Amino acid sequence: MRTNYSENELDALRELANIGSGTAATSLSGLLGMPIDVAVPSASALPLADAIDAAGPAEQLVTGVAIALEGDLDGAAIMLFPDEDVRTLCGLLGLEADSEMAASALGEVVNILGASYLGALGSLTGLQFELGPPNTVYDMLGAILGSILAVGAGSGDVALMLDSALIIEGQSCSLSFLLIPTADGVDGLLAQLGLG
Amino acid sequence: MTEISVRMGELAASADPGTVLVSLGLGSCIGLALVDAGAGVAGLAHIMLPGPGEAAKRPPATFADTGVAALLGRVLELGARRMRLSAVIVGGAQMFGSAVQLQVGARNDEAVRAALGAARLPVAAADTGGATGRTVRVYVDDACVTSRPAGGTETALLGGLAVTA
Repeated sequence: MRTNYSENELDALRELANIGSGTAATSLSGLLGMPIDVAVPSASALPLADAIDAAGPAEQLVTGVAIALEGDLDGAAIMLFPDEDVRTLCGLLGLEADSEMAASALGEVVNILGASYLGALGSLTGLQFELGPPNTVYDMLGAILGSILAVGAGSGDVALMLDSALIIEGQSCSLSFLLIPTADGVDGLLAQLGLG
Repeated sequence: MTEISVRMGELAASADPGTVLVSLGLGSCIGLALVDAGAGVAGLAHIMLPGPGEAAKRPPATFADTGVAALLGRVLELGARRMRLSAVIVGGAQMFGSAVQLQVGARNDEAVRAALGAARLPVAAADTGGATGRTVRVYVDDACVTSRPAGGTETALLGGLAVTA
């Protein structure tokens, strides 16, 4: 069982996330018709409880959209939107933030970003995996992320999170795209990069 | 009042009346409280998975079976009497409607109830299932256990409502 990752391994994973989020940023830019900046992604291996604390206050109500990954890369991709980001995004998409349309539009945004991010990852590594449909929930941050981490990190106490920030220029809105592979999923990624 | 945060896979117990044990934002996880009102002792475990946990080299509160055993040991150490213990369980929600591979809430609920049954600890109250996250608080002082759903208000499952939040 893995309990930690070396700096080399984390660097390689960060680079993967960088390529994935670059592709996702291009998609988001096309979708919104606005320039998108990508911050350097972070790759961190944290104990599960710390991973939630790192994402935000556990009781904060957020909209979470999760996509399950199955195949050579098991795990989940998730985006967590605080209310103000939902309002910003819906404003840019011309939707009322409280409407049912908004929830479904957010799911679609994550679907598109996930497909481009993970598609880039797939072609780079040659790993074959399928994306589940987007699942949108509005709930406490800890409840959403904890439920994913509990299952995803089934074999280890450490969660590896690749966190990419997509910054919508001029909107003070930064969307965080989290990729949380299972322990086996991380090993598969590293093996494809010659670090297994 | 001192709040002790009990996070995923952790457990805590206290005999200090000024202590509140809390697990914030339980989704599929279970918050298991064991309370002995007579002794003024209470404990809380934040259980993640059904188990079995015996062979896994992980913190005992990670799993239902090892979590129940470890929490029971801790409250007994602090002076709780086994015959007086009430168990309260909160959480075990199914957060993601259709994504079967992300679901573990109902199995957690079953496994914790089974482990409590095997230890002959009666379930005094429960707020489990559904599709909503919850926060559980254990007020050692009043032997009171509360649950608050996402966007809702705190209600007592065991004992009087100690604090109106």
